[in-house]
Amino acid sequence: MKGSVAGHLILKDWQLYRMPIALSIVGGVMSLAIFQWGGGWEGTMVVGSVWFYVALILVGTMLPLVGIVNERKKQNLAFVMSLPISPIQYTTSKLVSTVGMFLVPWLTLTISGLMLVEARGIVPRGSIPMMLILDAMPFVGLCIITGVALVGESEGWGIAANVFCNSSYGLVWYFLSRVPALMVNTKGPVPVWNSTVLSVLSAEFGSIVLILGLTFYLQSRKRDFI
Amino acid sequence: MTDLAIELSGVGKTYPFFSLDNIDLKVPEGQIMGLIGPNGAGKSTTIRILMGLVHQDRGEVRVLGHHMPAEQVAAKWDIGFASEDMRLYESMTLGWHMSFIQSIYSSWDAAYAQLLLKRFGLRAEQKIKGLSHGQRVKATLLLVFARRPKLLILDEPTTGLDPVARHEILRELTNVMADEGRSILFSSHNTQDVEQISDQITFIDRGRIIDSMDKETYLDRWRRVRLEVPFGIDLPALPGIIGIRRDGRLAVATANEFVPGLANAYESAGARIQCIESMTLEEIFVANVEHSREEVEA
Repeated sequence: MKGSVAGHLILKDWQLYRMPIALSIVGGVMSLAIFQWGGGWEGTMVVGSVWFYVALILVGTMLPLVGIVNERKKQNLAFVMSLPISPIQYTTSKLVSTVGMFLVPWLTLTISGLMLVEARGIVPRGSIPMMLILDAMPFVGLCIITGVALVGESEGWGIAANVFCNSSYGLVWYFLSRVPALMVNTKGPVPVWNSTVLSVLSAEFGSIVLILGLTFYLQSRKRDFI
Repeated sequence: MTDLAIELSGVGKTYPFFSLDNIDLKVPEGQIMGLIGPNGAGKSTTIRILMGLVHQDRGEVRVLGHHMPAEQVAAKWDIGFASEDMRLYESMTLGWHMSFIQSIYSSWDAAYAQLLLKRFGLRAEQKIKGLSHGQRVKATLLLVFARRPKLLILDEPTTGLDPVARHEILRELTNVMADEGRSILFSSHNTQDVEQISDQITFIDRGRIIDSMDKETYLDRWRRVRLEVPFGIDLPALPGIIGIRRDGRLAVATANEFVPGLANAYESAGARIQCIESMTLEEIFVANVEHSREEVEA
């Protein structure tokens, strides 16, 4: 035997899905370029920021749908499960590979966005906390879709989770933008990490941990895997 | 005592509309067991239980000495599994799949893999989506065979294949068995394939094993006796006869434990023996299933 089979499966997913990851990074970087291209003109800033989040949402949707739902639908799962791996090891490898693959464009684009704000000064530095809150939402969405795709074991559940998440982003953004404690400092010269900002960020990252933990728990209780 | 590659004792699994009942099955090391059953008989469920992918509700499962499903990881290092509903990654080449499997198994035999590529007429650089159904099945089996597993579990691998492809695969399975330590469990509803390569045969129907023994014993014991029976004579009920079909003066008796004394007994009762025919495995299978269903319904 050669090392951990779960490790080989994670590597396999990277090889299979590296193209969409690369494309999402290219798309995100291009959107940032558009954002700063207008030199503060509202039109390019809106287009750039929308495309930036679209790139993150797209990759966060695509990875679990292709890597988990399609793998089952296209009957690749039987091939994977013929390998010396248990269902719970498969779950672990899928959670690690899906979240890991998402983190590459997510971290790249988030750090690039922060650097752009810091270096170019097109938008006030006070917008950084809100920007991070909005950035974390596709991450939460990825975890929801991943969890539902693994536990639900069907294309229908995967699509339902996808629709739920994609229709929720706009609503959540709308409500967050009406929270005065979040918006009051966005035009300021320095980021303000008040308790409301920290609470929302904690809720987002807490739900990521909760969703991944719940997925792992539910998968470990399954008696039939295929 | 012969070591067992597979041992199922009293295994059961209940679904809302199907249940697997009290499955007892033993496959000795070095043997090929053919598992024959109609569609929906429980072959795939049995195999999934063997692979640890479905947990049995009752009973004990041991594969290569490992308890399943608890020790499935240890067991699967030595199991080569292929099923009719298994697919490789369409966007990748066969060569990529070979490298992937080779990276996992130290038992991968690269020279044998190359030999199989030639024998099966496959090209490593070809993407899976460009392969025909037969080529895909052969590609999957190549990945299984080249890792040299101790036990092969094959769930309907020849379904949908043309006769040439089926022949190639069955011939390779025979080659695999050149190593006496290897064992195969081969499920199919194609009795010809099973008859060609199996040492032992198990019939399964409606979630129950209805018969299990070695192939030669099946073929020796089962006979069809064609009789001419004068009007007014009733044929006696004899042990070893599982069914009699009568049409006017002609009757056909099916024996699952034929001995020459059966023919003598019919003659003594006034019937004339027209002929005693051997039965093919398919005929034995159908007669066995029908008899089993009649017994259950009675």
